[in-house]
Amino acid sequence: MTVAVDVRDLRKQYTMGETVLDVLRGVDLTIEHGEVVCVMGPSGSGKSTLLNIVGGLDRPSGGAVVVDGDDLAAMDDERLADYRRHQVGFVFQSFNLIPTLSALGNVELPLVFAGVARADRAVQAASALESVGLGLRLDHKPTELSGGEQQRVAVARAVVNGPAIILADEPTGNLDTTTGHEILELIKAMNAEGRTFLITTHDRAVAEAVAHRIVYIIDGSVVKIEQGGVA
Amino acid sequence: MRPRDLIFLVVSNLRRMKLRLALTTLGVVIGTSAIVLMVSLGVGLQRSVVDSLGELGAATHITVMTGYEGITGAESKSLDDRTVAQFEDMEHVDSVMPIVTVMSVQELAYKKNSTNANIQGVAPHKLEEFGYKLAEGRFARTDSEIVLGAAVPAMFLGVFPGSETANQPSLDLLGKRIVATVVEYPSEEAYAQNPMTEPTERTYKLTVVGILEKADMGTDSSVYTTLDAALEYNGATTRRPTYETVTVKADSAEAVADIEKALVAEGFQTFSARSIQDATSQIFIIVQVVLGALGGIAMIVAALGIANTMTMSIYERTREIGIMKAVGASNRQIKRVFLGEAAVIGVFGGLGGLAFSSAGAALANLFLQSMIAASTPTGGASEPTNFFYIPLWLAIFAVAFATGIGLLSGVLPAVRAANLDPLVALRHE
Repeated sequence: MTVAVDVRDLRKQYTMGETVLDVLRGVDLTIEHGEVVCVMGPSGSGKSTLLNIVGGLDRPSGGAVVVDGDDLAAMDDERLADYRRHQVGFVFQSFNLIPTLSALGNVELPLVFAGVARADRAVQAASALESVGLGLRLDHKPTELSGGEQQRVAVARAVVNGPAIILADEPTGNLDTTTGHEILELIKAMNAEGRTFLITTHDRAVAEAVAHRIVYIIDGSVVKIEQGGVA
Repeated sequence: MRPRDLIFLVVSNLRRMKLRLALTTLGVVIGTSAIVLMVSLGVGLQRSVVDSLGELGAATHITVMTGYEGITGAESKSLDDRTVAQFEDMEHVDSVMPIVTVMSVQELAYKKNSTNANIQGVAPHKLEEFGYKLAEGRFARTDSEIVLGAAVPAMFLGVFPGSETANQPSLDLLGKRIVATVVEYPSEEAYAQNPMTEPTERTYKLTVVGILEKADMGTDSSVYTTLDAALEYNGATTRRPTYETVTVKADSAEAVADIEKALVAEGFQTFSARSIQDATSQIFIIVQVVLGALGGIAMIVAALGIANTMTMSIYERTREIGIMKAVGASNRQIKRVFLGEAAVIGVFGGLGGLAFSSAGAALANLFLQSMIAASTPTGGASEPTNFFYIPLWLAIFAVAFATGIGLLSGVLPAVRAANLDPLVALRHE
């Protein structure tokens, strides 16, 4: 397997007035193509910050994050937007769909910013929605969909660009157990097709269900890496 | 992002704030209308004033008079055949027409009707050269033949230029004989010797051989005879006549100003419809700028409205901006979306304002014209004046300006949206 993401000595500090907060204190982590890695830890441990930095939504204070050979720390805003457009996909705890756009419109959005032609875009977005089981709900607005269905739309949106890695921040956090389980099954199915995931969770059952490896973070440091249930 | 997708995003964003969009656009409509109506009033007044100044004479003609020392500072010069020859040699001068104005004619009579039209002595071929057109007949060949200005036949009936009515009576004077009575007053010396000296009267029988087409007001009310005849009526005895006025024809209207400048420098007084029109136009440019600036105050308020609407809508859509950034929208793309929304408000407002002010101008013109028609007896005869006139440049400027104002008002909000931290934006509730 080849390396998808290489995180080296990653540090992140937040300055709040006089106090300096060390959120990440030198994290090392390698994720290989086709792997599902879960990051576990209590709230405030820095797991979401790690995810956001790998996703190019936040910037590191030190260290390196190399995705498919490109170091994120060296990218300017424009290049970082380009990186988010093509190399990562996000799935959020609270779905984060645009309420005025249909399911298809939401999935098309990354392709709009990538400049994909309208006809190609519709085909790609529809096929992504089909792959998450929503082929018949293309024209539904988010408010007309259940929580589980909304999260499926978000997954379809995350994969439609064919990214190197999909980042999911507590993807089942807002869902009941059954629906959450369905989303995990979806992630497993997509991983079986070769997609790479980095998932944060504080729920051990979630990590056990989908992860090849589970990374434990406490106070900004990796304390333990163990094999997940899928390995 | 493709332009078509940008438009789609802009339109779908605007669609969900219809009421706010309508109110903001209404502000721009009012601002644009205020500017367009104000400036169109300036343009309309300018046109009607400048057009009526065209009545003063042809655009290429310059009337030259002897100067007064007090005005020009130069030595007073007389207009004689030598100066005429000098003028003919000037650059951009096509032709020069000396005119002898008959001072002493008391009356022109045809049967029981009479008038005291101005008699001008001009070489007949010069009239032709200077573009005087015959409505009927021909130009004079002998000293006893005359050509009448278009309004002269009516003047015999007491109707003067500017007070014509639609169906006024007229006299057919072509080929008719007119009697001119010339009064010669005693000279100062004769008067000093005998204050009781009576003026002497002479009469001349003249035949009307032509009638001119309608031209400017001065021409219409004049009677044209030959130079020699006019000199004789004036009782001239010298062989070197001097002229009251000389008309110079420039080869183009653009050359008029330069020729006038040269003539004034030589110590002559000049007058031309063109230079008066130019001077008047300059005044009206100031009037238009001032009126436009007054209208611009409404536009400033409208611009604040756009900025306010955009700021509000960006605040409400902060989380969406975060989502768009997370799925790969660059700062520039976000900026374009919001600038696009502001520009659309400007375009709609500009087009709406143009439509509104066009309708307003048309209504105001109708109203003012009917007021004028009601208050003047001849209202129906002359061409109706448009007090509000919207030229094409004003229409294009209005829409472009409103769009520009929209874009400008959107710049700050759009930059703010573009620079939002995606993480902060995503956490926004």
